[in-house]
Amino acid sequence: MAPAAPRSGEAIFSSVDRVNAELFTLTYGAIVRQLLNDLEEVEEVNKQLDQMGYNIGIRLIDEFLAKSNVSRCVDFKETADMIAKVGFKMFLGVTASVTKWDADGSCCSIVLEENPLVDFVELPDTCQGLYYCNILSGVIRGALEMVAMKTEVTWIRDMLRGDDAYELQVKLLSQLPEEYPYKDDE
Amino acid sequence: MAAIYSLYIINKSGGLIFYKDYGSKGRMDTNDSLRVASLWHSMHAISQQLSPITGCSGIELLEADTFDLNCFQSLTGTKFFVVCEPGTQNMEVLLKFIYELYTDYVLKNPFYEMEMPIRCELFDIKLTQAIQKDRVALLGR
Amino acid sequence: MIGAGKIKQYSNILEKPLSKGKQEVSLSAFAFLFSELVQYNQTQVDNISELERRLEDAGYAVGARVLELLCHRDKGNRRETRLLGILSFVHSTVWKVLFGKVADSLEKGTEHEDEYMISEKDLLVNKFISVPKDMGTFNCGAFVAGIVRGVLDGAGFPAVVTAHFVPMEGLQRPRTTILIKFAEEVLQREARLG
Repeated sequence: MAPAAPRSGEAIFSSVDRVNAELFTLTYGAIVRQLLNDLEEVEEVNKQLDQMGYNIGIRLIDEFLAKSNVSRCVDFKETADMIAKVGFKMFLGVTASVTKWDADGSCCSIVLEENPLVDFVELPDTCQGLYYCNILSGVIRGALEMVAMKTEVTWIRDMLRGDDAYELQVKLLSQLPEEYPYKDDE
Repeated sequence: MAAIYSLYIINKSGGLIFYKDYGSKGRMDTNDSLRVASLWHSMHAISQQLSPITGCSGIELLEADTFDLNCFQSLTGTKFFVVCEPGTQNMEVLLKFIYELYTDYVLKNPFYEMEMPIRCELFDIKLTQAIQKDRVALLGR
Repeated sequence: MIGAGKIKQYSNILEKPLSKGKQEVSLSAFAFLFSELVQYNQTQVDNISELERRLEDAGYAVGARVLELLCHRDKGNRRETRLLGILSFVHSTVWKVLFGKVADSLEKGTEHEDEYMISEKDLLVNKFISVPKDMGTFNCGAFVAGIVRGVLDGAGFPAVVTAHFVPMEGLQRPRTTILIKFAEEVLQREARLG
């Protein structure tokens, strides 16, 4: 049976159930607020947001694969395109683009034109070190790890911190080879 | 007349995380089902290595005299396979649908721990509905 | 408190126009986020009641903000002063904005004068969630109960709000009822207003 054709982010987004972005934005705000309350240190909150993102990413990837009909990406360039054009669109309804590729194609930037996490948000003086959207870096890292890519995802630009866009750098560290586990897992 | 005899879901390490029996022979013993899943996981991996071409995605269909086995492996390594009546059509579509049910009612459940056995009531309910619908559709032909 | 950084387009976030509320995200995005909210809170508590309370508290802040947003945008800053008015606001306006539909039902409690119930056959936040048997009657709708409490409190109708599973005949799964128990002062004021 011929595999189904890959679907565009826009097509998937129109076909899935959607909710008011405000519910999403406000719920995310509630999460950040809880973390600031529980952890007090901004750096700890950044770490926790990244971890939560990771936990989401390792689960979200299967839905991405199921709905997008994507087959194994040929290279990292294709992977980054998939994240920006399909991933962000089908889940958050936003357009993202890929730029700043390095010479060997293992590092690039994903720039978000819109960001539903940050509507109504402004960082107070006490939270200047906070990467409010750090959950996104964890999501990408977690999702890619489930398809055998170890990456490092960091914020290059953050509008809440005074920059003019949201830019994430995604760096491929290693591609884990598929091996038949001859040894029993522990 | 059951077209689908059983459904298995295996995690990426080969552990059985879901097993449902629909046939008349009765449910397989737990230890047996774990062993069968583990063996299938190994056979599937071996089949990928036997391929003369790299990038083989492993066994998708196994045809035997008394049953067919259709298998779907996601890119994350999770395998879904059904044992059904020989010649049953459209099992790949069913498996893909079950994969989507898994992404909804298992992965979005905060009480489900990754790679562990699936015990999600909603998943069971939706799955039964899907299998029933399939059975009705098949009988209607 | 204003952050020290500059946002290019507007010097002050208060000058940025309020969105019309038409932007959407996928239900899945919300479901994954909510699932993580529940999972995180599970690690912070020792028992079910604490988990319920934390989810309710998280929802409370959302409710307070939703009230402000909707009063300004959808109601032209008109304020509800009567009980049925605010209940109708929650059951219809708030529900429509947050969950895309009005609530299935709004009922007055039969046993107590101060109780009202908003029910949903399939509460959005519970759509993909199966609560394990060993967690008893726990309902993630506690988050929504918190939202309702936040709205009511902010509007001047303090209440205790909780979420419950109620088995229904003919339904495979129990429906969720948000139980609202108004404070004494609310009922007294309502009586005075006649």
